[in-house]
Amino acid sequence: MKSVPKQEAQPKPRLIVRLGVFLASHHILFSVLCCSAGIITLLLLPSLAKNTYLSENALIPGFANPLFSTEDAIEANRFMKGIEAVLANFIAQQIEALGAEVCYHKFIPRSKNFHPLKFFTSMTNDMAIQPNGTDTNFGINTIGIVRAPRGDGKETIVLVSPYNSQSVQSNELLSLALGFSVFSLLSRAAWLSKDVVWLSVDSQFGEYVAVSAWLNLYHNLVFLSQSVILHTKMYGANHINDGNSEKTEVMAFKCAGTMVAALIFKVGETRRYGDRDSVMMYAEASNGQMPNLDLLNVVHYLAVHRQVPDYVEGTANLANSIYSQALGVPTGSHGAFCDYQVDVVSLEFSPTFHVRNDNAKSLFRLRGGMLIEGVVRSVNNLLEKFHQSFFLYFLTAPSKFISVGMYMIPFALLLAPLPIVAAAFAGGSKSMEKPVDKLIEHSKADDIADIPQSKGGSCKWLQAAKVLLVIQLWAVLVSLLPYYITQIPDATPMQSTLIWVVLSIVILIALSVLFGSPYSAGVEWKLLKATLITSMSIGLGLMSIINFATAQLGALIVIPMCLFSRPLKASGMNFLPRSVLLASNIVFAVLGFPPAAVLIMKGMSKGSCSWTTDFGDFWIWMEFLWEWSSETYLYLYLVHLPCWLLCILVLLHPCRQLESKIKEDWLFGLGGIFFSVGKF
Amino acid sequence: MAIRYWQMAAAAVGFRLVLVLFGGDLHLASRPEVSTPLTSLRRLAEGYWLKQASVSPYSGSMYHGSPLLLSILGPLTNSRPDGHHAHIYCSLIFVAVDFLAAMLIRATGHKLQMARNRSLKSLDLTKAVNDSVNVSAGDVASLIYLWNPWAIVTCVGSCTSPIENLMVVIMIYGACSRLAPLAAFGYVMATHLSLYPAILIVPVILLLGYGPDAPPPKVFLIKGSSASKSDESDNDKTTRQRVVQQFSWKPVLHFIFWLFIWSCHVLLLSSVILKKVGGLHEMFEKTYGFILTVKDLSPNIGVLWYFFAEVFDFFRNFFLIVFNMNIIFVVLPLAIRLKHRPCFLAFVYTAIVAILKSYPSAGDSALYLGLLGLFVNELAEMQFTFFLFFGYIGVSLLSPVMHNLWIWRGTGNANFYFATGLAYTCLQTVLLVESCAHRETRPSSLLPTCQAIYSSVAEPIKS
Repeated sequence: MKSVPKQEAQPKPRLIVRLGVFLASHHILFSVLCCSAGIITLLLLPSLAKNTYLSENALIPGFANPLFSTEDAIEANRFMKGIEAVLANFIAQQIEALGAEVCYHKFIPRSKNFHPLKFFTSMTNDMAIQPNGTDTNFGINTIGIVRAPRGDGKETIVLVSPYNSQSVQSNELLSLALGFSVFSLLSRAAWLSKDVVWLSVDSQFGEYVAVSAWLNLYHNLVFLSQSVILHTKMYGANHINDGNSEKTEVMAFKCAGTMVAALIFKVGETRRYGDRDSVMMYAEASNGQMPNLDLLNVVHYLAVHRQVPDYVEGTANLANSIYSQALGVPTGSHGAFCDYQVDVVSLEFSPTFHVRNDNAKSLFRLRGGMLIEGVVRSVNNLLEKFHQSFFLYFLTAPSKFISVGMYMIPFALLLAPLPIVAAAFAGGSKSMEKPVDKLIEHSKADDIADIPQSKGGSCKWLQAAKVLLVIQLWAVLVSLLPYYITQIPDATPMQSTLIWVVLSIVILIALSVLFGSPYSAGVEWKLLKATLITSMSIGLGLMSIINFATAQLGALIVIPMCLFSRPLKASGMNFLPRSVLLASNIVFAVLGFPPAAVLIMKGMSKGSCSWTTDFGDFWIWMEFLWEWSSETYLYLYLVHLPCWLLCILVLLHPCRQLESKIKEDWLFGLGGIFFSVGKF
Repeated sequence: MAIRYWQMAAAAVGFRLVLVLFGGDLHLASRPEVSTPLTSLRRLAEGYWLKQASVSPYSGSMYHGSPLLLSILGPLTNSRPDGHHAHIYCSLIFVAVDFLAAMLIRATGHKLQMARNRSLKSLDLTKAVNDSVNVSAGDVASLIYLWNPWAIVTCVGSCTSPIENLMVVIMIYGACSRLAPLAAFGYVMATHLSLYPAILIVPVILLLGYGPDAPPPKVFLIKGSSASKSDESDNDKTTRQRVVQQFSWKPVLHFIFWLFIWSCHVLLLSSVILKKVGGLHEMFEKTYGFILTVKDLSPNIGVLWYFFAEVFDFFRNFFLIVFNMNIIFVVLPLAIRLKHRPCFLAFVYTAIVAILKSYPSAGDSALYLGLLGLFVNELAEMQFTFFLFFGYIGVSLLSPVMHNLWIWRGTGNANFYFATGLAYTCLQTVLLVESCAHRETRPSSLLPTCQAIYSSVAEPIKS
């Protein structure tokens, strides 16, 4: 009597709900299909690349004949011949001789900082560190500015040529000469509608530091009350004292308008092999940011054309690009520009001639100058900021690209089964629980009192969510620890790593004492797995927006790890599938642990087995990531590590409701894992 | 439980204090999710400065809040201690305000629970009372309010939303405990501060008229009729009829009287404050007019900014009417459907306002999620809670990232951020629909009640 009206009252669920239920009931098949499809499309990506094309019509590259002529190349030669000991001063004099404006920028190298959260702070608005008079360890950038005869001074194109002021190499001189000759041409050009800034960067502390210091000052101008006194280092010991007025004028920092685009060019080491000069384009900035594709297209259009690469070469390029994007560390000083949303590309010329061969040199200068002039001309034509073409793409070759719509497909396929599996497990535990409860009721009616009566059936996941939150809290603490560990003076990487590991274990144990161990509340492993998968899909989804390459690589590791995870003690399977599952679980659990993965990669690449130094290397690698404010660091510690720990929790799940034993069990298990890792 | 509760509450307040005192400048005030043009404390400081300079605080379209807030919080925005974030004194006030709101939510929960127990007892269902009440809803609700990350962020992020929320909570508490002056005060202040709580007059009047949430009247009628079949004394019947409360006009009239008095007070004070620097007319135009005509199109977590940025100018007035009517449309049907549960109705209205208002923020969501906690026992069996929970987490993480990508990185565009706004609205809608549908189709608190009544009705029929 009671049940009949209840069943009639149950309405038929909506179509979308029924569809979801259907998919959830076939979640294993579905996830296998989706994952394999995802991996296959990922492998197919290089052959799905499309030809690049110029979206912005205003660019019209190659429209005008280049004005850069042999005279300019000869001018470069003259520049090289006349070089003095103190380069900064010499460059400034040369620029002044052209009638352009000139100023110096003095900077000190910044100490290593821990700022993994830089991405989320709205602007890089930390104040520029002003070198004070006593500091002798500083670098000097020399800046030349050509004011556009036809412009309003609101927009600027930046040319950057780096050199090391402490020991100038011949190839650096070549790139300086190239920069100067282009600059001298532009100072005479009547067609300029944007200002041109030529920044010759003092790269004695690294290019990136110098460029970012200049950019920081450029965007956060500080008006100094006292004029800065010049040093002998800048003018050289035997500088002629030519009046204070000129000095202060030179020292005052000068600005032009907002930057439209920037071009960094340097001449690389002379290649001994190969039959032609080549130009390498570097564009990956921090966190996998790329400049607008149109800028690369212009450079490619103007540079020498090449044949379409085959699949293998395309894959290699793609893998290289994905790797450097996933690391989240810029591949050159162009990263500094990308932090200020300036589209930028680094060009590295690799000439094939001998250094003494003057003829080949001037030909090379002519070509290089024509290329740079062409790019400047194209950018000069722009009426708006670069916006037409793609920002989110991978290049398999300079003329082949994979757009966001294409490369999202494999990732989406990998991610698609996650909500379904989560639904299957979250819903499954609810529907499964009733018959199980009944069975228990029938078998041992006396023990019912012992089983903790959970309240709402649909809110049982709250316990699992609590476990997740505690683990996330742990992950946040662990990711912040290095900030304090770096404060310890004179610690070797090995010691720092050990302190880190020990502290993380201590925190984990403390948290489990404070909030109760994860199994004590009697969380079902299915709910735990559902929580794990949901949190992972949120994390991967977020990361795919911040840095797609990291998310893609991470998904390849973490998704199989989570989908395979199943308690080691769980029964209800035949021997063979169970042992296969068990083996794969253990393999994924080892591979998924970041230090272990790094160690294995290192060991495989080197072949040697000096674990202690490698373990220190892990610390250095981490340091490298957070210094460059790479979000990959955050991904590793806020998404990957909690997922891994939850996976381990699922694996070690006792599958029983006996409470007293469990607590020891899980602490022991975790401790065991950490110590086995620590032993390395 | 009680000790545990106070520990948790103290920890939440302590956490807020730590964030306020030692958090440094978290730049939360500049997040569009936290502060809106209406609630931003930065704008308030600007308005105060203008007023000090004998200019209308509303000039220049900077400030759009109430003049009362201007004179209460304004002086505090002036002083800026070193080493702390800009509006530390205001933030300390907001911490206190949040705590007060949580206490009032707790008290409301206790009132609701007492009323529920009374009505269940009157239905001779003492067993159901003992069984179903396993969690103190008031405690849960106030803890949800205190520990809700959005409430914390709103409290620390220098915006006036906590005060608006407090006024709404005061109104609901006053109505639940039938304190007409208090309810009227909360109502007038909440409406004065953010206009939208005006529609809460329906649940307030129902609360004052009928009393707190009770099972639907027909349950009592069935019970009454079944009881009358079996012989019962007349005495019992009359007590039961007293429980099935008729609409009592006295508190409602009382409420309306106080409404009038408080409104006069607020208007008088405002006109005194705005004397010589613009009058009441300008205030109405720059506060209510600003809310209703959606003048500021800077992005927020709602959907209206995007829509009105896209819409053609000559359709603008039409769509303004449509969007504002949207809220009005749902008032009456919901009031009819849920008239026996005025408190739940108040929750539904606040949630609808949070979805459809012109400048929504995380603070509005914090309010309705806190109120949702009051019905934790009834909604324990709700569907999709797992996905709603993780959906809320996902959206609140996604929103800053999308905003960053659009505004600072330049690689995304407005659609990216709007997509999270849409997802957020969908989530809220699902939450609302599920909670309403659950309440209506399968009220678990009534399940034992109904079954007991069905069986008691069926027994005599069978025999």
